[in-house]
Amino acid sequence: MAELSNQLITYVTFAYMAAAVLYLIAAVSGARRIALVGSGLTWLILAVHTTAIILRWVGSYEMGVGHAPFSNLFESLVFFGWTLVLIYLILELRTRMYVVGAYALPLVFATMLYALAQDASIRPLMPALKSNWLIAHVIACFLGYAGFGISAALSLLYLLTGQGRQPSSPRANALDNFIYQTVAIGFIMLTAGIITGAVWANSAWGTYWSWDPKETWSLITWFVYAAMLHSRYMRGWQGTRLAVFSLAGFVCVLFTYFGVNLLLSGLHSYAS
Amino acid sequence: MKDTQPGRSALELIWSFFASVKLSFFLFLTLAVASIFGTLIPQREHLHVYTKAYGETGARIIQALSLDDMYHSYWFLLLLTLLAVNLVICSLNRLPLALKVIRKDPAAEAKRVRKAWRSFTVDGGVQDNQDRLARELGRVVGKVHRAEVDGGVNLFAQRGAWSRLGVYLVHASVLIIFIGAIVGNLWGFDGRVFITEGQTVDHILIQRGKKLPLGFGVRLDKFTITYYKGSRMPSEYISDLVFINHGKEVKKWRLKVNHPVDFKGIDFYQSSYDQQLKSVKVLLTRKGQEPQEVQLYFQRWSKLPGGGEAGVQDFRPQVDMGGMYRGAVARILYRSPGKQPVALTAFEPGARMASRGEVTFQLKGWDMVSRTGLSVKYDPGVWFVWIGCILMTLGFLVTFYTSHRKVWLRLTPAGKGRTRVEIAGSANRNRVGLQRAMERLEQSIRNQKGKAE
Repeated sequence: MAELSNQLITYVTFAYMAAAVLYLIAAVSGARRIALVGSGLTWLILAVHTTAIILRWVGSYEMGVGHAPFSNLFESLVFFGWTLVLIYLILELRTRMYVVGAYALPLVFATMLYALAQDASIRPLMPALKSNWLIAHVIACFLGYAGFGISAALSLLYLLTGQGRQPSSPRANALDNFIYQTVAIGFIMLTAGIITGAVWANSAWGTYWSWDPKETWSLITWFVYAAMLHSRYMRGWQGTRLAVFSLAGFVCVLFTYFGVNLLLSGLHSYAS
Repeated sequence: MKDTQPGRSALELIWSFFASVKLSFFLFLTLAVASIFGTLIPQREHLHVYTKAYGETGARIIQALSLDDMYHSYWFLLLLTLLAVNLVICSLNRLPLALKVIRKDPAAEAKRVRKAWRSFTVDGGVQDNQDRLARELGRVVGKVHRAEVDGGVNLFAQRGAWSRLGVYLVHASVLIIFIGAIVGNLWGFDGRVFITEGQTVDHILIQRGKKLPLGFGVRLDKFTITYYKGSRMPSEYISDLVFINHGKEVKKWRLKVNHPVDFKGIDFYQSSYDQQLKSVKVLLTRKGQEPQEVQLYFQRWSKLPGGGEAGVQDFRPQVDMGGMYRGAVARILYRSPGKQPVALTAFEPGARMASRGEVTFQLKGWDMVSRTGLSVKYDPGVWFVWIGCILMTLGFLVTFYTSHRKVWLRLTPAGKGRTRVEIAGSANRNRVGLQRAMERLEQSIRNQKGKAE
């Protein structure tokens, strides 16, 4: 099962590349039909991707070390890719703005490609990770990261297509609104991720907050997006400034996710 | 309000300083940047760590700015305090206005004539249409209020006025979390204790090596590590604990990582373990006598045959001295009657550096005993924190996903037995959602009976 799952992950990765190419062609040529094919393909890959994650979960039980597939960098990247696609497709379903796919799908492909470079073996969980909070914590965090990721893709689209020159055009307005909405999703899920992490830390170590680098960086990210939301609500920031802010926030997300494990040591070092 | 006293304007200045969103913005980003430093500079290390990494001057700067324990430094706490004051003043500043908007009389609202978002005509007169349109408005938005204004009929409905309070819920939740943290810091404690198998402890170590009596005893019966099948990876660390109150065994518990145990309001967490020496077997040789085997205990004196006392001060199971020696080493304190203790080193047999003197010891064997490391915590503030977290989540859901929507329909006679319908609306958030709702309303008004122009 685990081997089949790994096989599927490889296929899924390159299928995402194909979908990304379709979206890009559609974005450049403006051919809606190609975008629809890309969209259909992406839904299909998401189904296979989901299957692969479930197979890995089942496979770990077959190996006698059963746990949710959220325990190392490979598994987290595969799941991050999944949440990115999910959030993107929900956005696409609601907005029918296929051009976003040309920015979101390459991000998904890069994530999955990075996953393929990691050690994919299933390992037993160390005692500190054996907790029911693992699943809630990881799902919340990665939905949050994905919300921010899609928001960053939208921001890139906003900036690269020069929407800032006509910030009151319907298209710029819509994009601006989606940047805000995806950040809102990200912010709620990040908050939920920090809270579930705190509850878990409290049951594992007796402190809900210990200024561990991962915790601190998630708080830094939270501060940055909190500043962004306040600037929008209270001072009416939008358009280019909001897009730049969203990108800066995503840099913090990336550092929270990768930078902390690569460069700093702490309680989450087992995640690398 | 009259502004007569000079002190008042200073107070107002301070008030407006703390009421500004610019301050919040500044604090968010300053806290973010400051926190970055705390993750890059190692925290709570000895001075020499900083000297080695950053040089003398660097280490001095780090100490002067408390960057070595930044998150507990006065200036960081000051920033957090400023944030708390900022959000209290901001909330106090805006809450009365929000309450006023929420409580606004809908009958008065119905009398307002707003600029139309869309305008069209339908069949039938104003009187024929108003009941049906009120029904549609009621269905899409909420309870309908009517008013007759300037020869036309106004229909007004609103929903989600209370959603304006969401942000205050979020702000309150932050304060509640802060209160929880302060309560925990003032009245809670954070300790550690090591217990060897068979030992009972009645106190723990808290900050700066201070001892804190527990008021009850905790005994470790056994410490176990279980492994995953066919692997050297630990699956569980287990301490079999017995809680002893007034000499009676009150509670037995298998303590595992992630599953703390609570006794009399104090929480015990499985946090670490190690192996400690229990005793060593040594060959004792006195000058000119036959060697004999004796047992010596870790950090405890025992009488030796032939006089004197000895105990193990330190023990290393594996010492590598290059070509000289490789093996276990015990440091033994020996005192002959009426003399100062002397430290002697015991090596395993075959060492090329056997010790010489009146008395020598040779290491023949040793017994280790497991020691469990427990974190011991008491935090009366933790429930404030959880309540704060729940309120924060609810507050975010309200702030992001609900909004205060107001929709007006104005009906005026358009001649030829037709009625002009004007739709207007406002929302504090999610204007796209409002627009969709108004579009739905327009559709249903146009579809049912009247024909569009």
